[in-house]
Amino acid sequence: MIRRIPWWIAGILMALLLLFTFSVFGGNRPLGASTYVPYFSGILFNLSPEKYPYLKEVHFAGAWEGVMLLGALTGGFITSVFITKSFRFSIMPTGWKKYKNSSVSSRLIWSFVSGFFLILGARLAGGCTSGHFLSGVAQTAVSSMIFGAVVLISVIITGKIFYKSEANDD
Amino acid sequence: MIDRILDMFTTVSNESHGSVAVVFLIGIIFGVIIQYSRVDKFEKIAGFAMLRDTVVPKMLFLAIGLASIGLYFMVQAGYASYHPKPIILGGLIIGGAIFGISMAILGKCPGTGPVSIAEGRIDVLVGAIGGIFGGLVFTVYFDFFKKIMGESLGKTTLLTYFHGHETLTILIFGITLIVISIIIPLREEFDKADLNQLKD
Repeated sequence: MIRRIPWWIAGILMALLLLFTFSVFGGNRPLGASTYVPYFSGILFNLSPEKYPYLKEVHFAGAWEGVMLLGALTGGFITSVFITKSFRFSIMPTGWKKYKNSSVSSRLIWSFVSGFFLILGARLAGGCTSGHFLSGVAQTAVSSMIFGAVVLISVIITGKIFYKSEANDD
Repeated sequence: MIDRILDMFTTVSNESHGSVAVVFLIGIIFGVIIQYSRVDKFEKIAGFAMLRDTVVPKMLFLAIGLASIGLYFMVQAGYASYHPKPIILGGLIIGGAIFGISMAILGKCPGTGPVSIAEGRIDVLVGAIGGIFGGLVFTVYFDFFKKIMGESLGKTTLLTYFHGHETLTILIFGITLIVISIIIPLREEFDKADLNQLKD
């Protein structure tokens, strides 16, 4: 069995999954993957939707994506164990060691901070790669094209500034 | 907490957006595609930020090109409907900039992050804990963030600008995206730790 599918098979499959999710046979809604985070924050910190209007706003979308997330974790886990055989516990990505530094605490602190702002940014914009870039641009939504352009520029500028242009020797 | 987790399932099953099983299945397929194409790896998104890897943009542009055409005809046939998000300039520009910076540093987006946690990445789990706090801060200070996001300028789509020529517009739009996905040069940044596991 092949261990990895090429980008074009992944792109075709993702398009089919998007269409199924949009269709009346699937979810009859866009695919999204960032609303579940504040939804889970509400559950974990026991915040009442009566007191926090945002939780009321995301009550259904958060639940839908929460169930989907459980599926994604299951699908990802099974695939990593049986197909890609990439399941292993690790803290330091090879690419971080190569283009940033070898410090575990540096990676973990940056992970926490970037995870925090990743969700804050997605919630400010009203979506993420899935909700805006995939689902939104497929609907030719102007909002999602603005988001996509800003993210593209911001990602590339950050990559240029944050990482080294030459690989570290190891 | 248990009752609220159970409420998650009843909320989904009470609405007509797919049964719990269908939504779970959508998640499984999503996880399999991301894992099987390896776009959950740090080297893919952070690699793209460094312009050393182009698998993610190639895959995304192909997916939205094909899906935009398919979705248009499905909507025409009555099998789906459009749900575009509102144009909130402050939110889109400030949120998008923050999102892009964070994505380049974490090397994951909210969709690929959980999938890489599922393959054992502890650093991403720490990122997810950060994300839970991000979600908490957004929820608690929603009134403040709403001011940054700004007023909605409507849920406009490109198709509304070309009224009467929707089919032609969507074909040009979709085909352009597909062509972009093909002409982006293929570059790949591999993870040695993964390659060592590959015997073939």
